[in-house]
Amino acid sequence: MFRSFISWRYLFARRTNLIGMVGILVAVAALILILSIMTGFLAESRKVVRGALSDVLIQPAWFAEAPPAEPLLDATVRDARVRGCTAELVWGGVITQRGRSSVRGFSSPTSANPFVVQLIGVDVQSVERFIHPVVRATLGNFGGTLPRRRLADAFTATDFLQALAGTAQGPCAAPVKSPLFPFVPPRAHTGRGLPKPAIVVGDQLFDRLNMRVGETLQVATVVQDPETGDAQVNNQNYVVAGSFRSGENEMDRTRIYLARSDLSDLLGGTRQFTQVLLRLKDYDEYSAPLVADLRLSLAERGLIRGGEWGLSEVRTWEEFNQNLLGAIENERVLMAIMLSLVLVVAGFTIFAILSMMVTEKRRDIGILRALGATPRGILDLFLLIAFWDALLGTIMGAVVGTWAALRIDPIERALSDAFGVQIFNRDVYMFDHIPAIVEPSSVALIVIGAFCCALLFAAVPAWRAARLDPLTALRYE
Amino acid sequence: MSSTITSAHGSDTAGEALRGGAPTPATDPVLRAHQVRRSFSMGSRSLEILHGIDLTLHAGELVALVGASGAGKSTLLHILGVLDRPDDGKLEVGGRDVWSLSTNERARLRNLEIGFVFQFYHLLPELNAVENTLLPAMIELSWLEYQRAKKKLRARAVDMLVHFGLADRLEHRPGELSGGERQRVAMARALLQNPKILLADEPTGNLDSSTGETVLELLFEEQRRRQLAMILVTHDSRLADRCGRVLMMEDGIVQADSAHPVPD
Ligand SMILES: Nc1ncnc2c1ncn2[C@@H]1O[C@H](COP(=O)(O)OP(=O)(O)OP(=O)(O)O)[C@@H](O)[C@H]1O
Ligand SMILES: [Mg+2]
Repeated sequence: MFRSFISWRYLFARRTNLIGMVGILVAVAALILILSIMTGFLAESRKVVRGALSDVLIQPAWFAEAPPAEPLLDATVRDARVRGCTAELVWGGVITQRGRSSVRGFSSPTSANPFVVQLIGVDVQSVERFIHPVVRATLGNFGGTLPRRRLADAFTATDFLQALAGTAQGPCAAPVKSPLFPFVPPRAHTGRGLPKPAIVVGDQLFDRLNMRVGETLQVATVVQDPETGDAQVNNQNYVVAGSFRSGENEMDRTRIYLARSDLSDLLGGTRQFTQVLLRLKDYDEYSAPLVADLRLSLAERGLIRGGEWGLSEVRTWEEFNQNLLGAIENERVLMAIMLSLVLVVAGFTIFAILSMMVTEKRRDIGILRALGATPRGILDLFLLIAFWDALLGTIMGAVVGTWAALRIDPIERALSDAFGVQIFNRDVYMFDHIPAIVEPSSVALIVIGAFCCALLFAAVPAWRAARLDPLTALRYE
Repeated sequence: MSSTITSAHGSDTAGEALRGGAPTPATDPVLRAHQVRRSFSMGSRSLEILHGIDLTLHAGELVALVGASGAGKSTLLHILGVLDRPDDGKLEVGGRDVWSLSTNERARLRNLEIGFVFQFYHLLPELNAVENTLLPAMIELSWLEYQRAKKKLRARAVDMLVHFGLADRLEHRPGELSGGERQRVAMARALLQNPKILLADEPTGNLDSSTGETVLELLFEEQRRRQLAMILVTHDSRLADRCGRVLMMEDGIVQADSAHPVPD
């Protein structure tokens, strides 16, 4: 009984225990925080990589005659495993003029930023593609409207819809009228002459060029003349219909979305689409067999080149990003090693505190032994002290760490304000917020790990205390 | 007030009759040392401090152990109290060979059969007087057993402390007590488990004479009443005279034992 009684008494009588507890607290809290942020980063990176690519990506090798996307879409949507699919035309471009004056960044030769943009042509209206032919026929007969969910399914394959939904929260947002039909030009600017095609601009680009909804933007690009094979510059005026916000800096800074047919016009009809994006009903189950099936069946129909080419023409998003995902995985292993070192540090804190305590309490150990405590009893006593330290330390650490991870953004902002230094530079990272995901399982693992580590390290001084000769201990002044 | 403190061994009347007298020959010895030797290694050479001590102790015996400083009195007392292991020889407590027992059994023996009173009190600084007194019981019992016996044990500890004149010092920690008060707490602790043997190593060595006198009176009274076999290490010859038996140590052996006068 003296073990629990005296360990408890020592725990509060001795300040050093507080240091031990705080040591464990800090280690556990820091671990949880770091792990949550890293998990958040990994998850977010995966999401970004995946989001831009959908589940499965079909990128047919070059065909000289610029085939339409429809046969390919028809072929893929027929597969029962596909939830939705859509065609995209991706091309590079440069913003050359804004309104009537040329863009300032472009006119100055010293400026390093010529506003190179990525033009993404997406299908918003081609909804009927994604409906089974039988259903389409039935709907047509009854003059029915197309179900919204179906539309959203196909549209989300590009993640553009999600980005548009995010616009509402953006600091410099200029939401489009309807996320489902984002390229409806603002009424004020459809006036003189032919209606200009509309574009939706990433909100950082929108903000940087100080754009307004409804103004005109000239975009130029380079294409190959199909007859002569020479490079030629095409340009076109667009009206800004709104902005979108994905939260990923690169995307929000360089992307411009527009209707695929409009982009195809800019390219002079030399390309109709560059890729087809697929969303599957169950990625984990269907992805591998579907990719294999598509490689065969699409090549048979001449929709992709097939053969050697087929392997790189139809890919899952993971295959497409093998290197990046490999690096992320590698980072995770590295992190696990680094993080376990923090646990060792927590263990050392307990080791140091308990060693001090054993030395300090030598006389008490002698007294207890003289009064009939066994070496085992002394061992238990000191292990118990470490146990309380570890228990209180890890529990408080878990609470503090979890709280900090959940409130990391406001905490970071408060710290940045307080010290006048930007701790998380949102321009440098892919994200405009600090992503943090608290996984209960990893919190539990950290708590258990810290706990075991502390007890393991405590065993050494506790063992020393138990081995102490009672007489030597009694003589100690 | 003292009536509440019951002794497991002997009664008041027997104690009174035995004051200063010889033990009843019929009883078995509670403690027996046979040819106990102890040496300490000082660097390369080893120095023998005890050169074969023989000693038999019966219940109710009050023995003074005297001798010059460095004679080995404390060393002997530690060995008799099973705190130190002799290099050679045998020690029996209650007829059992102590060093052939297991570590746990030896610890239990220290806990139940032997009480210690040290010169420097040796109380735990973080515990108050009552808690210090209860320490041997806490060590003996498991958590559950202790919870069950707590009330009775606490009452016993408090009674003892009150009997020793510490009624309004119960919740004080050693740091808040005077030397004499600390020694009385240590005595209460030594007596809590009703031991058969009480070993006191200069219990008044750190106290002024009048405080020491009160402490000793209490100690003698308890010894008598409980029929304890007690060894009292002292430098004070007047004090030794009050004990029934005097052992004189010199150069690591018992030179004179008043119970067994050395024949010429
Ligand atoms: N652990 C030890 N290591 C080395 N020498 C020791 C040890 N313990 C005791 N001694 C030596 O043994 C001798 C006897 O010591 P002890 O403490 O028994 O004397 P004592 O008779 O109690 O003296 P005092 O009356 O001063 O208390 C001393 O010379 C001491 O130096
Ligand atoms: Mg001594």
